[in-house]
Amino acid sequence: MSDKDFAALLERLRPEFAELIAQYEHKRSALLPMMHAFQQHQGYVSLDAMSAAAEMLEMTPAEVEGVVSFYTLLYRRPVGKYMLQVCRGLACTINGAEDIMAYFREKLGVGHLQTTPDGTFSYEEVECLAACDRATCMQVNLEFIYDLTPQKIDEMLDAIRAGTYAVAPMAQTREPGPTWATVPDSEIAKGRKSPGAVAVESPNNPGGLGDASGTIMLDHLITRDVYLFGRTTERAVVDSRAVVETIDERADRAGH
Amino acid sequence: MPVTKILTAGIGEANLRDIGVYRERGGYTQWERAVRELRPSDVLDLAEKSGLRGRGGAGFPTGKKWSFLPSDKHPRYLVCNCDEAEPGTFKDHMLLEEAPHLVLEGMLLGAYGIACHHAFIYIRGEFKRGYEIFSAALEEARRAGLFGRNIFGTDYDLEITVQRGAGAYICGEETGLINSLEGKRGEPRLKPPFPAVEGLYGMPTVVNNVETLAYLVPILERGAEWFSSVGTERSKGYKVVSVSGHVRDPGNYEVPLGTSVREIIELAGGLRPGRTLRAVQPGGGSSACIFEEHLDWPYDYESMTKAGSMLGSGAFVVFDDTTDFVNAAYNLVRFFAHESCGQCTPCREGGSWMERVLERLVHHRGIPGDYEMLLRVSGSITGLNLCALGDSIEPFLKSVMVRFPDAFRSRIAEAVAR
Ligand SMILES: Cc1cc2nc3c(=O)[nH]c(=O)nc-3n(C[C@H](O)[C@H](O)[C@H](O)COP(=O)(O)O)c2cc1C
Ligand code: SF4
Ligand code: FES
Repeated sequence: MSDKDFAALLERLRPEFAELIAQYEHKRSALLPMMHAFQQHQGYVSLDAMSAAAEMLEMTPAEVEGVVSFYTLLYRRPVGKYMLQVCRGLACTINGAEDIMAYFREKLGVGHLQTTPDGTFSYEEVECLAACDRATCMQVNLEFIYDLTPQKIDEMLDAIRAGTYAVAPMAQTREPGPTWATVPDSEIAKGRKSPGAVAVESPNNPGGLGDASGTIMLDHLITRDVYLFGRTTERAVVDSRAVVETIDERADRAGH
Repeated sequence: MPVTKILTAGIGEANLRDIGVYRERGGYTQWERAVRELRPSDVLDLAEKSGLRGRGGAGFPTGKKWSFLPSDKHPRYLVCNCDEAEPGTFKDHMLLEEAPHLVLEGMLLGAYGIACHHAFIYIRGEFKRGYEIFSAALEEARRAGLFGRNIFGTDYDLEITVQRGAGAYICGEETGLINSLEGKRGEPRLKPPFPAVEGLYGMPTVVNNVETLAYLVPILERGAEWFSSVGTERSKGYKVVSVSGHVRDPGNYEVPLGTSVREIIELAGGLRPGRTLRAVQPGGGSSACIFEEHLDWPYDYESMTKAGSMLGSGAFVVFDDTTDFVNAAYNLVRFFAHESCGQCTPCREGGSWMERVLERLVHHRGIPGDYEMLLRVSGSITGLNLCALGDSIEPFLKSVMVRFPDAFRSRIAEAVAR
């Protein structure tokens, strides 16, 4: 989307945004709905969109991006025209979701959080979609598809490719890259690894599958007494005074 | 045993999305009666006397929660929590899509009960269809003059705002939800202060689940005694139970609280032929499993707690003998690690490291000591977190590790032998 196109879009959306903002006691509450609106028109949440929102809501662009990056349904990079989100939750998993996901990966030739080279499909494995009675299930551009079978998947992919599918494509104003995720694992896998981590799936994972160093360290830390005072659970904080007293007591015992 | 139909009445039979159909069936008469004839405190009294407890997870008595609002701090807000994302729960999703006017009427009654003038409903981002359906219902109700200024000619004003989430389980936690509603990252707040004192925009706020609010409608219609006469000593009334997993007819089943675990499984068609029961997770992904010995226990708040678990959101996942519990534990721990907002070190680090340990067990690459370490780490992070998510990692994991130790240990032995 060129600067000129974006400016036009923004002008078009302004009245809608003004109405939105007026709904709330604090302007900033309009941020998520505004981001949804931009994404609907641009296919993703562009830097332009975030700057424009920042200005309207009297926030800094960094604050806006900080908020947007919290939410998995807001994409800060372009995605495919069809977002395929397959449920990997427990109820679906014990009803065959792993096979369904493997079938998708094979059929699409891409994995979790990746977009096909032609920019048609983005594929993601997501948490429980609150439709466990119709396992296994998924969403296509946020429309639910229930009781998945390989045959149903074939028909769906064929219909999308043929342009005859019932669910409309998302807007696409820029060509998507191989992934929209912040830390593209696929990029990392393309030889940007330190020699010490070749056997490890991701550099973010210091030990990888076979290593115990991280958990041994964590285990060591948490078994040391000093970390055990000051327990504050949602359930325990019924009476704030009680908690403060327990903390004081424990601190006394620990010699603080 | 017959299925109860209170909230679920008419679903699948009539088009309850249509305000005309909903009104023909008596819809909005309780709302009109409340505004015309009752005081807000009468509604609060009814909620309190009915014994209604929160259906969103914590089971807190609803009337009591409302009564915590300070009387001298205004404005105050009601927020209806429709962020339903607890693994295994799908009742609010159904109510939102199939009975949007019931959800709205419940919200209106709740708002009146706490005498607020602005109420919100926060709908999970994935429920795009539900959002559209509810927004349409809201417009119908607005046109019918059911809310807005001077409702039914009285001096009571009420505005309703619909907010869509954007994909984050933690926004279901009430203070995370409030932050999200304020246009911030959905990170839970330190409590106290509780939302009842300092919530949305720093003002007193009640957050209630969709199902909790919806039950206000039949309670107003039939009276507090009708509701409190059903159930057990400390669990009154009915509950929509989301039954899924290894049963023949998964779905939402509304039952009186105190119905036995066995009966609920039978309502859902029982197990598949030739299968035996291994475990039931009775309260969503955050709850510990119960087992065969609990089959005849009543399904209510206190019994589930006594059984070492909880009733939670009423998600009831059934596992038969085909279940790989190592993979199941990995699945749920991965969920919590993925959804951790990252504010608390025990939740963020503990969750993701346990995920890695479980991942290697799933791949038969366990290391001696993993079993003990998982129990130790999960036990140690519990209670050290800002919100209940961090404390939800342990229950399922521990319950199945203690019950089926061989399933876990064998993944280590095999790895060592190789
Ligand atoms: C991590 C987490 C997620 C939650 N998700 C939801 C949810 O999706 N829906 C809900 O109603 N309550 C959820 N809750 C519970 C809320 O914090 C809150 O207790 C509830 O909305 C209160 O409503 P109730 O009293 O009517 O049950 C969640 C709690 C936690 C800790
Ligand atoms: S316990 Fe976890 S999810 Fe809850 S506030 Fe802490 S880090 Fe966030
Ligand atoms: S586990 Fe897939 S919808 Fe709940």
